[in-house]
Amino acid sequence: MANANTAPASGSIMVVGGGISGLTTALEAAEVGYEVFLVEKNPYLGGRVAQLNQYFPKLCPPTCGLEINFRRIKDNPRIKVFTLAEVEKVDGSAGNYTVTVKLNPRYVNENCTCCGACAEACEIEISDEFNFGMRRIKGAYLPFEMAFPARYVISPQIIGTEDAQKAKEACKYDAIDLEMTAKTIDLQVGSIVWATGWEPYDATRIDNLGFGQYDNIITNMMMERLAAPNGPTKGKILRPSDDKEPQSVAFVQCAGSRDENHLPYCSYICCMASLKQATYVRERYPDAKIYIFYIDLRAPGKRYEKFYDKIKEDENVFFIKGKVAEVSEDPTTKNITVVAEDTISGEKVHQTVDLVVLATGMQPTAANQKLPADLQFTEDGFMINDYTKGGMFAAGCASKPADVVSSNQNATGMALKAIQTLASK
Amino acid sequence: MADSYLVEPDIGFINEVVKLGGQDVKKCFQCATCAVACPISPDTKPFPRKEMLATSWGLKDRLIGNGDIWLCHNCGDCSTLCPRGAKPGDVISALRAYAVSEYAKPKALAKAVNDPKKLPILAAIPAVIFLVVGLITGLLNFSPGGDEIVHAHFFSTWLVDLIMLPTAAFAVAVFANGLKNFIADMHANALLEGKTDKQKIDAGGFIQALIKVIPTIFKHNRFNECGENKARGTAHMMVFYGFLGLFIVTNTFFIVLYVFKIHGPYSQLNPVKWLANVAGVSLVIGSLLLMKERASKKDQVSTYKDWFLLWLALGLGLTGLLAETSRLAGMAGFSYFIYFVHLMLVWSLFAYTPFSKLAHLVYRTVAMAYQEYSGRK
Repeated sequence: MANANTAPASGSIMVVGGGISGLTTALEAAEVGYEVFLVEKNPYLGGRVAQLNQYFPKLCPPTCGLEINFRRIKDNPRIKVFTLAEVEKVDGSAGNYTVTVKLNPRYVNENCTCCGACAEACEIEISDEFNFGMRRIKGAYLPFEMAFPARYVISPQIIGTEDAQKAKEACKYDAIDLEMTAKTIDLQVGSIVWATGWEPYDATRIDNLGFGQYDNIITNMMMERLAAPNGPTKGKILRPSDDKEPQSVAFVQCAGSRDENHLPYCSYICCMASLKQATYVRERYPDAKIYIFYIDLRAPGKRYEKFYDKIKEDENVFFIKGKVAEVSEDPTTKNITVVAEDTISGEKVHQTVDLVVLATGMQPTAANQKLPADLQFTEDGFMINDYTKGGMFAAGCASKPADVVSSNQNATGMALKAIQTLASK
Repeated sequence: MADSYLVEPDIGFINEVVKLGGQDVKKCFQCATCAVACPISPDTKPFPRKEMLATSWGLKDRLIGNGDIWLCHNCGDCSTLCPRGAKPGDVISALRAYAVSEYAKPKALAKAVNDPKKLPILAAIPAVIFLVVGLITGLLNFSPGGDEIVHAHFFSTWLVDLIMLPTAAFAVAVFANGLKNFIADMHANALLEGKTDKQKIDAGGFIQALIKVIPTIFKHNRFNECGENKARGTAHMMVFYGFLGLFIVTNTFFIVLYVFKIHGPYSQLNPVKWLANVAGVSLVIGSLLLMKERASKKDQVSTYKDWFLLWLALGLGLTGLLAETSRLAGMAGFSYFIYFVHLMLVWSLFAYTPFSKLAHLVYRTVAMAYQEYSGRK
């Protein structure tokens, strides 16, 4: 780790987005001596990775990676973290930006010990967005066990209700401040790295795949939450309609990806994610059958190819080359039948399964939410890096669909780009 | 499947299909969404995914005699869901046009029917035939007299039938020859692709299958399964029954004329006349609706072959009704002229059907019958 004597900073760097890419950029820049402002719109850091059960291909929980990063942030006085924060405006040019940041109220201050008394006192339940609405939580909540900063949040939905008062009264540490309001601050920085990440593509928009219409059709990100020990089912994979343990699961690849009616590009991670999720099911249910319907299976690189080969050895995992284009539900059993043409045999397959997982792809956050800065984007909302102009850069999935490893490599590179902007000033 | 298969792409064929409306075929990446999206594609060897592959590889012999291209009713469900915009519906439609010209002999005429530059020649052929035969036989009377307008005084029914009957016979012969080859090819293709377990075509069984599919065709059941293009079903039905009604009317006139020696024009109170009028109106409205439908579908490819048939259908209906109404209105010169145009269009219908898109009425019927016969699920 860098010490205070190395690499004198000649300005500050702002990193927008506290997911795995943003964390990496922030840490890489801070650890060589630069001051970094890390701005995250959620009440916690970790982004999409925090929602995963395991990484592929090593199948270790993401908490390992996140924990060490959180530790590094805690130890590094050069990183200033703003959660519940959104960039509102960017003025100036490379080397000299003024960024207006809106800080939304958490209603909980640093006195919080995560004792949970406030949540117990609450009665109103709200939808748990961290778990894609698969469970309801109290209006005073901790986003997840590993949340950093480790502090409860009072949902704006209960502000002004009796519940908010009850929560405040229950707190023994005087940590709840219902008078908190949103405020804006201006920060002077030399360069900005946009690590704004991605959203799972809205599966309800894929009319023919029945998501939102049939209970037992879920997305791959929901599957991560079902398999995660801190998820709504405590890591048991149970299907939504009746909490039954699924004995057969179909994975529908390219659900909305490589499709000009939805996302025209390949989302890069979904094949590997489904292969990984096949292991979640197979590990829990030794007799379960897995059906993976795909156009082309993409396991890029030697390590991923090896992982794919391993899954192929499992006799209970079946690969069908053909995209699912039709689904139907049996109204009594709630089982789902998916239909595809097996293009190898040239026969249509009608496969009835307990649970269907749509391998939905990633859409850049900027596709649905315009970033308040002078930036260039592709038609699909990925940011285009203009290295001649410099000053602002996209890292990770803000610039292209990527896995965690590539995001981290890219994010490290962008930390250097941000530093170069300061150095050349 | 054989251990090795040497692909021999026919580049000329690919280019032709592209010209006929299949220009997006190469965008296909074989995901097979189309085969599932299609409401009428069977479970065994479904279409049109395999046809998309064969087309982009230029495998002409796998496609021309492929009955599946005729089972498709071009509803467009596949094109709507296609993730690549490869428009399978339009590719299959282009393949049908290609297949028609492949089976219809003489080939030069088939080429001309699909070539807009040859349209003036095609239009001139019936006019020349009528004038020449009329002048030689002396059956053409340029100064038809009488108080009542009788089209037959201008064009003798003898002249009309002298020309129309051989033309109809020509069309039947072209179809017969085409069908002979088509049925053999279709069966060979079905055996090759594993679409049937019947080794030989047994005529009795095939005719039974044909009788079985007739109600399906009359009720337009396949059209009703379509999602995307449902409105077209009704319009097509109007054109279909318009033609059918007029076919019945024409045959009735023919029999009455030659057997009972009763000449037209019939009274408007005659039920045959009712049928004629209703069918004529149905033809006009139906073809107008189909034109509107086609013009409004910006994501569907429309080519000359499509418009040729629609204008012919509309022209037939309009000139028929105009000739009749102008006759009743006493506009002699105009009525005789329109009747002449009408006769030219009728002749074109007979002569060019085996070479045009309208040939689908024969090929699709036979392909549907074969599908029924083959026992494919």
